[in-house]
Amino acid sequence: MNNITGKTWLFGDDINTDLIYPQICYTLPEREKPLHAMEANRPGWASMVKNGDILVAGRNFGTGSSRPAADNLRKLGISCILAETVNGLFLRNAVNTGIPALAVHGIRDVLKEGDIITVDFRNSIVRYGDKTLSFKPLPSFLMDIIENGGIINVLKAKGLLGEPL
Amino acid sequence: MNIIEKILFNHSVEPVKTISPGDIATVNVDRAIIVDMAALHPEFVDNPPLKPFDPDKISLVFDHYVPAPSIEIANRVNRLRKLVSRWGIRDFYDTGRGGISHVLGGELGWFRPGSLVANTDSHTVATGAFNTLGRGLGTPELMNIIATGKTWFIVGETVKVKFSNRMRKGSSAKDVFFNLASITGDIPGKNVEFAGSGIKSMGMDERSSISTMCAELSAEFAVFPFDGILKEYMENAGVSRYKAVEPDNDAAYADEVEIDMASVEPMVAMPDRIINNIKPVSELGRVNIDVAVVGSCANGRLSDIRDVAEVLRGKKIDRNVRLTVTPASRKIYEEANRLGYINTIVEANGLVTNPTCGACLGGHMGVVADDDTVISSTTRNFRGRMGSSKAHIYLGSARTVAISALNGYIKGDLNE
Repeated sequence: MNNITGKTWLFGDDINTDLIYPQICYTLPEREKPLHAMEANRPGWASMVKNGDILVAGRNFGTGSSRPAADNLRKLGISCILAETVNGLFLRNAVNTGIPALAVHGIRDVLKEGDIITVDFRNSIVRYGDKTLSFKPLPSFLMDIIENGGIINVLKAKGLLGEPL
Repeated sequence: MNIIEKILFNHSVEPVKTISPGDIATVNVDRAIIVDMAALHPEFVDNPPLKPFDPDKISLVFDHYVPAPSIEIANRVNRLRKLVSRWGIRDFYDTGRGGISHVLGGELGWFRPGSLVANTDSHTVATGAFNTLGRGLGTPELMNIIATGKTWFIVGETVKVKFSNRMRKGSSAKDVFFNLASITGDIPGKNVEFAGSGIKSMGMDERSSISTMCAELSAEFAVFPFDGILKEYMENAGVSRYKAVEPDNDAAYADEVEIDMASVEPMVAMPDRIINNIKPVSELGRVNIDVAVVGSCANGRLSDIRDVAEVLRGKKIDRNVRLTVTPASRKIYEEANRLGYINTIVEANGLVTNPTCGACLGGHMGVVADDDTVISSTTRNFRGRMGSSKAHIYLGSARTVAISALNGYIKGDLNE
Protein backbone atom coordinates (compact mmCIF):
# COMPACT_ATOMS: atom_id res chain seq x y z
CA MET A 1 0.00 0.00 0.00
CA ASN A 2 1.19 3.54 -0.78
CA ASN A 3 2.37 5.85 1.98
CA ILE A 4 -0.25 8.04 3.63
CA THR A 5 0.83 11.57 4.60
CA GLY A 6 -1.53 13.86 6.45
CA LYS A 7 -2.22 16.35 9.19
CA THR A 8 -3.01 14.86 12.60
CA TRP A 9 -5.94 15.27 14.96
CA LEU A 10 -5.30 14.08 18.53
CA PHE A 11 -7.81 12.30 20.77
CA GLY A 12 -7.53 10.65 24.19
CA ASP A 13 -8.25 7.16 25.56
CA ASP A 14 -11.45 5.10 25.22
CA ILE A 15 -12.97 7.01 22.31
CA ASN A 16 -16.09 4.88 21.72
CA THR A 17 -18.26 4.08 18.72
CA ASP A 18 -21.23 6.04 20.04
CA LEU A 19 -19.12 9.20 20.00
CA ILE A 20 -17.90 8.49 16.46
CA TYR A 21 -21.32 7.45 15.13
CA PRO A 22 -24.09 8.77 17.42
CA GLN A 23 -27.40 6.90 17.50
CA ILE A 24 -29.18 9.60 15.47
CA CYS A 25 -26.92 8.88 12.47
CA TYR A 26 -28.75 5.64 11.72
CA THR A 27 -31.66 7.36 10.03
CA LEU A 28 -29.94 10.48 8.64
CA PRO A 29 -29.18 10.90 4.92
CA GLU A 30 -25.77 9.34 4.15
CA ARG A 31 -23.98 12.65 3.46
CA GLU A 32 -25.02 14.14 6.83
CA LYS A 33 -23.83 11.24 9.02
CA PRO A 34 -20.09 12.07 9.14
CA LEU A 35 -20.78 15.62 10.30
CA HIS A 36 -22.06 14.25 13.63
CA ALA A 37 -18.83 12.40 14.46
CA MET A 38 -17.51 13.33 17.94
CA GLU A 39 -20.19 15.99 18.44
CA ALA A 40 -20.70 14.95 22.08
CA ASN A 41 -16.99 15.10 23.03
CA ARG A 42 -15.62 17.64 20.54
CA PRO A 43 -18.37 19.80 19.03
CA GLY A 44 -17.40 21.41 15.71
CA TRP A 45 -14.51 19.02 15.04
CA ALA A 46 -16.14 17.16 12.15
CA SER A 47 -16.56 20.32 10.07
CA MET A 48 -12.83 21.12 10.43
CA VAL A 49 -11.56 17.79 9.09
CA LYS A 50 -9.95 17.94 5.64
CA ASN A 51 -9.70 15.07 3.22
CA GLY A 52 -6.63 12.96 4.02
CA ASP A 53 -6.26 13.96 7.68
CA ILE A 54 -5.01 11.32 10.12
CA LEU A 55 -6.68 10.58 13.46
CA VAL A 56 -4.35 9.74 16.37
CA ALA A 57 -5.71 8.48 19.69
CA GLY A 58 -4.78 6.82 22.96
CA ARG A 59 -5.77 3.43 24.35
CA ASN A 60 -8.76 1.30 23.39
CA PHE A 61 -9.86 3.32 20.37
CA GLY A 62 -13.24 2.36 18.95
CA THR A 63 -14.55 0.40 21.94
CA GLY A 64 -18.27 -0.32 21.81
CA SER A 65 -20.78 -1.30 19.20
CA SER A 66 -20.72 -2.89 15.75
CA ARG A 67 -22.16 0.28 14.18
CA PRO A 68 -20.30 1.64 11.12
CA ALA A 69 -18.09 4.02 13.12
CA ALA A 70 -14.95 3.46 11.02
CA ASP A 71 -17.01 4.04 7.87
CA ASN A 72 -18.18 7.35 9.31
CA LEU A 73 -14.58 8.51 9.83
CA ARG A 74 -13.60 7.40 6.32
CA LYS A 75 -16.51 9.31 4.82
CA LEU A 76 -15.50 12.37 6.83
CA GLY A 77 -12.15 12.26 5.01
CA ILE A 78 -9.93 10.55 7.60
CA SER A 79 -7.32 8.50 5.72
CA CYS A 80 -5.79 6.47 8.55
CA ILE A 81 -6.32 5.84 12.28
CA LEU A 82 -3.37 5.37 14.64
CA ALA A 83 -3.86 4.59 18.31
CA GLU A 84 -2.01 3.09 21.26
CA THR A 85 -4.46 0.16 21.12
CA VAL A 86 -7.47 -0.49 18.91
CA ASN A 87 -10.67 -2.38 19.80
CA GLY A 88 -10.86 -5.62 17.81
CA LEU A 89 -14.34 -5.01 16.41
CA PHE A 90 -13.40 -1.48 15.35
CA LEU A 91 -10.29 -2.86 13.63
CA ARG A 92 -12.40 -5.32 11.64
CA ASN A 93 -14.91 -2.62 10.72
CA ALA A 94 -12.09 -0.33 9.60
CA VAL A 95 -10.54 -2.99 7.38
CA ASN A 96 -13.93 -3.93 5.97
CA THR A 97 -14.69 -0.34 5.00
CA GLY A 98 -11.23 0.17 3.50
CA ILE A 99 -9.37 2.31 6.04
CA PRO A 100 -6.23 1.26 7.96
CA ALA A 101 -6.44 1.28 11.77
CA LEU A 102 -3.06 0.58 13.34
CA ALA A 103 -1.82 0.10 16.89
CA VAL A 104 1.34 2.22 17.18
CA HIS A 105 2.89 2.11 20.63
CA GLY A 106 3.97 5.52 21.87
CA ILE A 107 2.26 7.50 19.12
CA ARG A 108 -0.07 9.51 21.32
CA ASP A 109 2.69 11.12 23.37
CA VAL A 110 5.13 12.17 20.66
CA LEU A 111 2.86 14.32 18.49
CA LYS A 112 1.29 17.76 18.70
CA GLU A 113 -2.06 18.22 17.04
CA GLY A 114 -1.55 19.44 13.49
CA ASP A 115 1.81 17.70 13.02
CA ILE A 116 2.24 16.30 9.52
CA ILE A 117 3.16 12.61 9.63
CA THR A 118 3.67 9.82 7.10
CA VAL A 119 2.54 6.22 7.51
CA ASP A 120 4.97 4.06 5.58
CA PHE A 121 3.34 0.66 5.07
CA ARG A 122 6.27 -0.91 3.23
CA ASN A 123 8.60 -0.37 6.21
CA SER A 124 5.86 -0.49 8.90
CA ILE A 125 6.91 2.82 10.40
CA VAL A 126 5.34 6.18 11.13
CA ARG A 127 7.60 9.15 10.24
CA TYR A 128 7.21 12.34 12.28
CA GLY A 129 9.76 15.14 11.99
CA ASP A 130 13.06 13.31 11.61
CA LYS A 131 11.99 10.50 13.93
CA THR A 132 10.09 7.24 13.45
CA LEU A 133 7.94 4.78 15.39
CA SER A 134 7.45 1.23 14.18
CA PHE A 135 4.22 -0.75 14.17
CA LYS A 136 3.19 -4.34 13.65
CA PRO A 137 1.77 -4.51 10.12
CA LEU A 138 -1.72 -5.84 9.51
CA PRO A 139 -1.80 -9.32 7.93
CA SER A 140 -1.48 -9.09 4.14
CA PHE A 141 -4.98 -10.47 3.46
CA LEU A 142 -6.42 -7.59 5.49
CA MET A 143 -4.28 -5.06 3.61
CA ASP A 144 -5.72 -6.56 0.41
CA ILE A 145 -9.29 -5.86 1.64
CA ILE A 146 -8.27 -2.27 2.46
CA GLU A 147 -6.67 -1.77 -0.95
CA ASN A 148 -9.85 -3.08 -2.58
CA GLY A 149 -11.82 -0.39 -0.77
CA GLY A 150 -13.50 -2.75 1.70
CA ILE A 151 -15.24 -6.11 1.91
CA ILE A 152 -18.36 -5.03 -0.01
CA ASN A 153 -16.21 -4.39 -3.10
CA VAL A 154 -14.62 -7.80 -2.66
CA LEU A 155 -18.03 -9.49 -2.42
CA LYS A 156 -19.32 -7.58 -5.46
CA ALA A 157 -16.27 -8.58 -7.50
CA LYS A 158 -16.88 -12.23 -6.62
CA GLY A 159 -20.53 -11.97 -7.69
CA LEU A 160 -21.76 -12.86 -4.18
CA LEU A 161 -24.27 -10.03 -3.76
CA GLY A 162 -27.85 -10.07 -4.98
CA GLU A 163 -30.80 -7.84 -5.81
CA PRO A 164 -32.10 -5.14 -3.42
CA LEU A 165 -34.69 -6.17 -0.85
CA MET B 1 -4.50 -25.03 24.09
CA ASN B 2 -7.00 -23.14 26.23
CA ILE B 3 -10.76 -23.26 25.53
CA ILE B 4 -10.69 -20.39 23.04
CA GLU B 5 -7.73 -21.72 21.09
CA LYS B 6 -9.24 -25.21 21.01
CA ILE B 7 -12.62 -24.05 19.67
CA LEU B 8 -10.82 -22.08 16.94
CA PHE B 9 -8.68 -25.17 16.25
CA ASN B 10 -11.81 -27.34 15.94
CA HIS B 11 -13.30 -24.87 13.43
CA SER B 12 -10.18 -24.29 11.33
CA VAL B 13 -10.89 -24.43 7.59
CA GLU B 14 -7.42 -25.80 6.83
CA PRO B 15 -5.89 -28.48 9.04
CA VAL B 16 -3.43 -26.90 11.51
CA LYS B 17 -1.19 -28.45 14.15
CA THR B 18 -2.17 -26.07 16.92
CA ILE B 19 -3.52 -22.58 17.56
CA SER B 20 -1.65 -20.03 19.65
CA PRO B 21 -1.56 -16.24 20.16
CA GLY B 22 -0.49 -14.33 17.06
CA ASP B 23 -1.87 -16.95 14.66
CA ILE B 24 -4.47 -16.05 12.10
CA ALA B 25 -7.27 -18.59 12.33
CA THR B 26 -9.55 -19.01 9.32
CA VAL B 27 -12.63 -20.77 10.63
CA ASN B 28 -16.03 -22.17 9.70
CA VAL B 29 -18.96 -20.46 11.41
CA ASP B 30 -21.73 -22.61 12.93
CA ARG B 31 -24.41 -19.92 13.00
CA ALA B 32 -24.79 -16.38 11.70
CA ILE B 33 -27.36 -14.15 13.38
CA ILE B 34 -28.78 -11.07 11.67
CA VAL B 35 -30.65 -8.56 13.84
CA ASP B 36 -33.09 -5.89 12.69
CA MET B 37 -30.38 -3.19 12.81
CA ALA B 38 -29.09 -4.62 9.52
CA ALA B 39 -32.10 -2.92 7.90
CA LEU B 40 -30.47 0.42 8.72
CA HIS B 41 -27.34 -0.48 6.76
CA PRO B 42 -27.98 0.51 3.13
CA GLU B 43 -25.29 -1.85 1.84
CA PHE B 44 -27.23 -4.78 3.30
CA VAL B 45 -30.75 -4.03 2.10
CA ASP B 46 -29.56 -2.64 -1.25
CA ASN B 47 -27.24 -5.54 -2.06
CA PRO B 48 -27.76 -8.46 0.35
CA PRO B 49 -25.76 -11.64 -0.18
CA LEU B 50 -27.09 -13.55 -3.19
CA LYS B 51 -27.67 -16.64 -1.06
CA PRO B 52 -26.58 -17.85 2.38
CA PHE B 53 -23.99 -20.60 2.80
CA ASP B 54 -26.68 -22.63 4.62
CA PRO B 55 -30.15 -21.15 5.31
CA ASP B 56 -30.57 -23.44 8.34
CA LYS B 57 -27.55 -21.79 9.96
CA ILE B 58 -28.91 -18.27 9.56
CA SER B 59 -31.13 -16.60 12.18
CA LEU B 60 -33.05 -13.37 11.71
CA VAL B 61 -34.06 -11.73 14.98
CA PHE B 62 -35.97 -8.51 15.52
CA ASP B 63 -34.81 -7.02 18.80
CA HIS B 64 -33.41 -3.48 18.67
CA TYR B 65 -36.45 -1.71 17.26
CA VAL B 66 -39.39 -3.74 18.58
CA PRO B 67 -41.91 -2.40 17.78
CA ALA B 68 -40.65 0.01 15.11
CA PRO B 69 -40.47 3.51 16.66
CA SER B 70 -40.92 5.53 13.45
CA ILE B 71 -42.29 5.31 9.91
CA GLU B 72 -38.75 5.45 8.56
CA ILE B 73 -37.63 2.43 10.59
CA ALA B 74 -40.91 0.56 10.02
CA ASN B 75 -40.37 0.86 6.26
CA ARG B 76 -36.75 -0.19 6.45
CA VAL B 77 -37.30 -3.30 8.59
CA ASN B 78 -40.11 -4.39 6.25
CA ARG B 79 -37.46 -4.73 3.55
CA LEU B 80 -35.47 -7.02 5.84
CA ARG B 81 -38.51 -9.31 6.35
CA LYS B 82 -38.32 -10.19 2.64
CA LEU B 83 -35.16 -12.18 3.39
CA VAL B 84 -37.21 -14.89 5.08
CA SER B 85 -38.84 -16.16 1.88
CA ARG B 86 -35.94 -15.23 -0.40
CA TRP B 87 -33.45 -17.32 1.55
CA GLY B 88 -35.84 -19.83 3.16
CA ILE B 89 -34.86 -18.90 6.72
CA ARG B 90 -36.51 -21.13 9.36
CA ASP B 91 -35.15 -19.33 12.39
CA PHE B 92 -37.01 -16.04 12.03
CA TYR B 93 -38.20 -14.28 15.20
CA ASP B 94 -40.33 -11.24 14.47
CA THR B 95 -41.93 -8.77 16.88
CA GLY B 96 -43.74 -10.62 19.67
CA ARG B 97 -42.05 -13.97 19.00
CA GLY B 98 -38.53 -13.83 20.33
CA GLY B 99 -36.44 -11.28 22.17
CA ILE B 100 -32.89 -9.99 22.34
CA SER B 101 -30.75 -12.25 20.15
CA HIS B 102 -28.11 -12.90 22.83
CA VAL B 103 -30.80 -14.16 25.19
CA LEU B 104 -33.07 -15.85 22.66
CA GLY B 105 -30.15 -17.76 21.14
CA GLY B 106 -29.45 -19.38 24.51
CA GLU B 107 -33.10 -20.27 25.08
CA LEU B 108 -33.39 -21.87 21.64
CA GLY B 109 -30.17 -23.86 21.87
CA TRP B 110 -28.31 -21.94 19.14
CA PHE B 111 -25.27 -21.56 21.40
CA ARG B 112 -24.07 -25.15 21.48
CA PRO B 113 -21.07 -25.76 23.72
CA GLY B 114 -17.91 -25.79 21.62
CA SER B 115 -19.52 -23.92 18.71
CA LEU B 116 -18.74 -20.63 16.97
CA VAL B 117 -21.34 -17.90 16.40
CA ALA B 118 -21.27 -14.63 14.44
CA ASN B 119 -23.79 -11.85 14.96
CA THR B 120 -24.12 -8.24 13.84
CA ASP B 121 -24.36 -7.04 17.45
CA SER B 122 -21.33 -6.27 19.60
CA HIS B 123 -22.58 -8.14 22.68
CA THR B 124 -22.28 -11.50 20.92
CA VAL B 125 -19.49 -12.31 23.38
CA ALA B 126 -22.52 -13.23 25.57
CA THR B 127 -22.37 -16.73 24.03
CA GLY B 128 -19.28 -17.41 26.17
CA ALA B 129 -21.55 -18.45 29.04
CA PHE B 130 -22.47 -21.44 26.86
CA ASN B 131 -18.86 -22.52 26.24
CA THR B 132 -19.37 -20.99 22.80
CA LEU B 133 -17.19 -18.49 20.92
CA GLY B 134 -19.22 -15.55 19.67
CA ARG B 135 -18.02 -12.40 17.97
CA GLY B 136 -19.93 -9.23 17.23
CA LEU B 137 -19.19 -8.04 13.72
CA GLY B 138 -20.04 -5.17 11.45
CA THR B 139 -22.85 -5.73 8.98
CA PRO B 140 -20.54 -5.79 5.89
CA GLU B 141 -18.45 -8.49 7.52
CA LEU B 142 -21.52 -10.54 8.40
CA MET B 143 -22.50 -10.33 4.72
CA ASN B 144 -19.19 -12.02 3.93
CA ILE B 145 -19.91 -14.76 6.48
CA ILE B 146 -23.45 -15.28 5.18
CA ALA B 147 -22.06 -15.68 1.66
CA THR B 148 -19.07 -17.88 2.51
CA GLY B 149 -19.69 -19.49 5.93
CA LYS B 150 -16.18 -18.49 6.98
CA THR B 151 -14.31 -15.78 8.84
CA TRP B 152 -10.93 -15.05 10.43
CA PHE B 153 -9.51 -14.19 13.84
CA ILE B 154 -6.15 -12.84 14.87
CA VAL B 155 -5.68 -15.06 17.92
CA GLY B 156 -5.08 -13.05 21.07
CA GLU B 157 -3.60 -13.88 24.44
CA THR B 158 -5.97 -15.09 27.13
CA VAL B 159 -6.49 -13.84 30.67
CA LYS B 160 -7.64 -16.54 33.08
CA VAL B 161 -10.18 -15.31 35.64
CA LYS B 162 -10.65 -17.59 38.65
CA PHE B 163 -13.78 -17.19 40.76
CA SER B 164 -13.87 -18.46 44.33
CA ASN B 165 -16.65 -18.64 46.95
CA ARG B 166 -20.11 -17.27 46.18
CA MET B 167 -21.84 -13.91 46.00
CA ARG B 168 -23.41 -12.51 49.11
CA LYS B 169 -27.15 -11.89 49.00
CA GLY B 170 -27.49 -8.36 47.64
CA SER B 171 -24.52 -8.41 45.31
CA SER B 172 -24.95 -9.69 41.78
CA ALA B 173 -23.13 -10.84 38.66
CA LYS B 174 -23.01 -7.24 37.40
CA ASP B 175 -21.08 -6.31 40.54
CA VAL B 176 -18.72 -9.25 39.98
CA PHE B 177 -18.12 -7.96 36.45
CA PHE B 178 -17.46 -4.43 37.72
CA ASN B 179 -14.96 -5.92 40.13
CA LEU B 180 -13.29 -7.73 37.23
CA ALA B 181 -13.27 -4.58 35.07
CA SER B 182 -11.65 -2.57 37.83
CA ILE B 183 -8.82 -5.12 37.96
CA THR B 184 -8.19 -5.76 34.25
CA GLY B 185 -9.08 -2.40 32.70
CA ASP B 186 -9.43 -2.55 28.93
CA ILE B 187 -7.91 -5.57 27.18
CA PRO B 188 -8.35 -5.02 23.43
CA GLY B 189 -7.42 -8.05 21.37
CA LYS B 190 -7.29 -10.36 24.38
CA ASN B 191 -9.64 -13.12 25.56
CA VAL B 192 -11.05 -14.03 28.94
CA GLU B 193 -11.42 -17.60 30.12
CA PHE B 194 -13.27 -18.23 33.36
CA ALA B 195 -12.35 -20.93 35.87
CA GLY B 196 -12.55 -21.73 39.55
CA SER B 197 -14.88 -23.28 42.09
CA GLY B 198 -17.06 -20.15 42.29
CA ILE B 199 -18.56 -20.81 38.86
CA LYS B 200 -20.79 -23.59 40.14
CA SER B 201 -22.65 -21.09 42.36
CA MET B 202 -23.70 -19.12 39.27
CA GLY B 203 -26.65 -20.01 37.05
CA MET B 204 -26.77 -19.35 33.31
CA ASP B 205 -28.24 -15.87 33.88
CA GLU B 206 -25.32 -14.78 36.03
CA ARG B 207 -22.71 -16.29 33.69
CA SER B 208 -24.38 -14.65 30.70
CA SER B 209 -24.40 -11.27 32.42
CA ILE B 210 -20.64 -11.49 33.01
CA SER B 211 -19.71 -12.78 29.54
CA THR B 212 -21.96 -10.17 27.88
CA MET B 213 -20.35 -7.31 29.79
CA CYS B 214 -16.88 -8.41 28.71
CA ALA B 215 -17.58 -6.58 25.43
CA GLU B 216 -16.99 -3.47 27.55
CA LEU B 217 -13.42 -4.62 28.28
CA SER B 218 -12.86 -4.74 24.49
CA ALA B 219 -12.30 -8.49 24.93
CA GLU B 220 -12.47 -10.71 21.85
CA PHE B 221 -14.04 -13.71 23.63
CA ALA B 222 -15.07 -14.41 27.24
CA VAL B 223 -15.75 -18.11 27.73
CA PHE B 224 -16.95 -20.25 30.61
CA PRO B 225 -16.02 -23.92 31.00
CA PHE B 226 -18.62 -26.65 30.43
CA ASP B 227 -20.17 -28.12 33.58
CA GLY B 228 -23.25 -29.82 34.98
CA ILE B 229 -25.29 -26.61 35.11
CA LEU B 230 -24.72 -25.92 31.41
CA LYS B 231 -25.32 -29.60 30.58
CA GLU B 232 -28.68 -29.49 32.32
CA TYR B 233 -29.56 -26.21 30.59
CA MET B 234 -28.84 -27.74 27.18
CA GLU B 235 -30.92 -30.80 28.05
CA ASN B 236 -33.86 -28.56 28.94
CA ALA B 237 -33.36 -26.69 25.66
CA GLY B 238 -33.60 -30.04 23.86
CA VAL B 239 -30.05 -29.95 22.52
CA SER B 240 -27.89 -33.05 22.80
CA ARG B 241 -25.50 -32.85 19.83
CA TYR B 242 -22.48 -30.75 20.74
CA LYS B 243 -18.80 -31.09 21.57
CA ALA B 244 -18.02 -29.18 24.75
CA VAL B 245 -14.45 -27.96 25.10
CA GLU B 246 -12.16 -28.05 28.12
CA PRO B 247 -8.71 -26.48 28.40
CA ASP B 248 -5.69 -28.74 28.06
CA ASN B 249 -3.62 -29.31 31.20
CA ASP B 250 -0.77 -27.30 29.69
CA ALA B 251 -3.00 -24.49 28.36
CA ALA B 252 -1.21 -21.13 28.29
CA TYR B 253 -2.54 -17.86 29.74
CA ALA B 254 -1.01 -14.41 29.56
CA ASP B 255 -2.28 -13.42 32.98
CA GLU B 256 -4.33 -14.71 35.88
CA VAL B 257 -6.86 -12.81 37.98
CA GLU B 258 -8.56 -14.14 41.12
CA ILE B 259 -11.90 -12.87 42.34
CA ASP B 260 -13.31 -13.80 45.72
CA MET B 261 -17.01 -13.39 45.01
CA ALA B 262 -17.83 -13.21 48.71
CA SER B 263 -15.91 -9.93 48.92
CA VAL B 264 -17.85 -8.26 46.09
CA GLU B 265 -20.17 -5.45 47.13
CA PRO B 266 -22.69 -3.47 45.01
CA MET B 267 -20.81 -1.23 42.58
CA VAL B 268 -21.61 1.30 39.88
CA ALA B 269 -19.92 2.60 36.77
CA MET B 270 -19.77 6.38 36.91
CA PRO B 271 -21.07 8.30 33.85
CA ASP B 272 -19.47 8.04 30.38
CA ARG B 273 -17.37 4.88 30.67
CA ILE B 274 -16.82 1.68 32.60
CA ILE B 275 -13.05 1.39 32.23
CA ASN B 276 -11.22 3.07 35.15
CA ASN B 277 -14.55 4.46 36.31
CA ILE B 278 -15.98 1.98 38.86
CA LYS B 279 -16.95 2.81 42.44
CA PRO B 280 -18.53 0.84 45.28
CA VAL B 281 -22.03 2.24 45.90
CA SER B 282 -21.05 2.67 49.55
CA GLU B 283 -18.45 5.29 48.54
CA LEU B 284 -20.67 7.17 46.12
CA GLY B 285 -22.30 9.79 48.29
CA ARG B 286 -25.84 10.91 47.48
CA VAL B 287 -26.70 10.93 43.76
CA ASN B 288 -30.37 11.73 43.11
CA ILE B 289 -31.89 10.04 40.06
CA ASP B 290 -34.63 10.85 37.56
CA VAL B 291 -34.65 7.63 35.58
CA ALA B 292 -34.14 3.96 36.47
CA VAL B 293 -33.86 1.29 33.78
CA VAL B 294 -33.70 -2.50 34.01
CA GLY B 295 -33.17 -4.42 30.80
CA SER B 296 -30.75 -5.44 28.02
CA CYS B 297 -28.90 -8.62 27.05
CA ALA B 298 -26.74 -8.24 30.14
CA ASN B 299 -29.37 -7.69 32.80
CA GLY B 300 -32.93 -8.02 31.56
CA ARG B 301 -33.00 -11.70 32.45
CA LEU B 302 -35.47 -13.53 34.69
CA SER B 303 -33.18 -13.37 37.73
CA ASP B 304 -32.90 -9.59 37.22
CA ILE B 305 -36.68 -9.12 36.97
CA ARG B 306 -37.00 -11.31 40.09
CA ASP B 307 -34.52 -9.10 41.96
CA VAL B 308 -36.52 -6.01 41.02
CA ALA B 309 -39.82 -7.59 42.11
CA GLU B 310 -38.30 -8.73 45.42
CA VAL B 311 -37.15 -5.19 46.19
CA LEU B 312 -40.40 -3.51 45.12
CA ARG B 313 -42.96 -5.95 46.53
CA GLY B 314 -45.70 -4.01 48.34
CA LYS B 315 -43.88 -0.67 47.93
CA LYS B 316 -44.02 2.36 45.62
CA ILE B 317 -41.01 3.83 43.83
CA ASP B 318 -39.95 7.39 44.66
CA ARG B 319 -42.36 9.94 43.20
CA ASN B 320 -39.59 11.69 41.24
CA VAL B 321 -38.32 8.53 39.54
CA ARG B 322 -39.43 7.02 36.20
CA LEU B 323 -38.71 3.26 36.23
CA THR B 324 -38.71 1.25 33.00
CA VAL B 325 -38.31 -2.53 33.13
CA THR B 326 -37.73 -4.41 29.88
CA PRO B 327 -37.65 -8.22 30.01
CA ALA B 328 -35.06 -9.49 27.52
CA SER B 329 -37.20 -12.13 25.83
CA ARG B 330 -40.77 -13.30 25.43
CA LYS B 331 -39.97 -16.39 27.48
CA ILE B 332 -38.69 -14.22 30.33
CA TYR B 333 -41.72 -11.96 29.98
CA GLU B 334 -44.12 -14.92 30.21
CA GLU B 335 -42.29 -16.44 33.14
CA ALA B 336 -42.09 -13.09 34.99
CA ASN B 337 -45.80 -12.70 34.39
CA ARG B 338 -46.58 -16.20 35.67
CA LEU B 339 -44.51 -15.60 38.82
CA GLY B 340 -46.26 -12.28 39.49
CA TYR B 341 -43.11 -10.16 39.05
CA ILE B 342 -44.62 -7.95 36.37
CA ASN B 343 -47.68 -7.19 38.46
CA THR B 344 -45.49 -6.34 41.45
CA ILE B 345 -43.47 -3.88 39.36
CA VAL B 346 -46.58 -2.29 37.83
CA GLU B 347 -48.17 -1.89 41.29
CA ALA B 348 -44.98 -0.12 42.43
CA ASN B 349 -45.50 2.40 39.56
CA GLY B 350 -42.85 0.88 37.32
CA LEU B 351 -43.39 0.70 33.57
CA VAL B 352 -42.93 -2.77 32.06
CA THR B 353 -42.28 -2.79 28.31
CA ASN B 354 -42.22 -5.54 25.72
CA PRO B 355 -38.92 -7.36 25.14
CA THR B 356 -36.47 -5.21 23.12
CA CYS B 357 -32.97 -3.71 23.32
CA GLY B 358 -34.93 -0.43 23.57
CA ALA B 359 -33.61 2.03 26.12
CA CYS B 360 -30.09 0.52 26.19
CA LEU B 361 -29.30 1.92 22.75
CA GLY B 362 -31.25 5.13 23.18
CA GLY B 363 -33.43 4.19 20.27
CA HIS B 364 -36.87 4.12 21.93
CA MET B 365 -38.73 2.79 24.99
CA GLY B 366 -37.06 5.15 27.43
CA VAL B 367 -34.94 7.75 25.63
CA VAL B 368 -33.42 10.07 28.25
CA ALA B 369 -33.39 13.88 28.28
CA ASP B 370 -30.84 16.66 28.87
CA ASP B 371 -29.64 16.63 32.50
CA ASP B 372 -31.47 13.41 33.39
CA THR B 373 -29.55 11.36 35.92
CA VAL B 374 -29.99 7.69 35.13
CA ILE B 375 -29.21 4.44 36.94
CA SER B 376 -29.42 1.52 34.54
CA SER B 377 -28.73 -2.22 34.49
CA THR B 378 -28.04 -2.05 30.75
CA THR B 379 -24.70 -2.60 29.04
CA ARG B 380 -23.19 0.81 28.26
CA ASN B 381 -23.02 4.31 29.64
CA PHE B 382 -21.13 6.08 26.86
CA ARG B 383 -22.05 9.75 26.67
CA GLY B 384 -25.26 10.03 24.65
CA ARG B 385 -25.80 6.28 24.67
CA MET B 386 -29.37 6.32 25.99
CA GLY B 387 -30.51 9.57 24.37
CA SER B 388 -29.25 13.05 25.21
CA SER B 389 -25.50 13.53 25.43
CA LYS B 390 -26.25 15.81 28.38
CA ALA B 391 -27.68 12.95 30.48
CA HIS B 392 -25.60 11.33 33.24
CA ILE B 393 -25.74 7.53 33.04
CA TYR B 394 -24.67 5.33 35.95
CA LEU B 395 -24.66 1.55 35.52
CA GLY B 396 -25.48 -0.94 38.26
CA SER B 397 -27.10 -4.30 38.90
CA ALA B 398 -30.87 -4.74 38.51
CA ARG B 399 -31.13 -4.93 42.31
CA THR B 400 -29.20 -1.68 42.73
CA VAL B 401 -31.46 -0.02 40.13
CA ALA B 402 -34.58 -1.17 41.98
CA ILE B 403 -33.33 -0.07 45.41
CA SER B 404 -32.35 3.28 43.89
CA ALA B 405 -35.81 3.67 42.29
CA LEU B 406 -37.42 3.14 45.71
CA ASN B 407 -35.21 5.69 47.42
CA GLY B 408 -34.83 8.33 44.70
CA TYR B 409 -31.05 8.20 44.86
CA ILE B 410 -28.42 5.60 44.00
CA LYS B 411 -28.33 3.01 46.73
CA GLY B 412 -27.27 -0.59 47.00
CA ASP B 413 -27.69 -2.81 50.00
CA LEU B 414 -26.04 -6.09 50.77
CA ASN B 415 -28.90 -6.97 53.10
CA GLU B 416 -31.91 -6.22 50.88
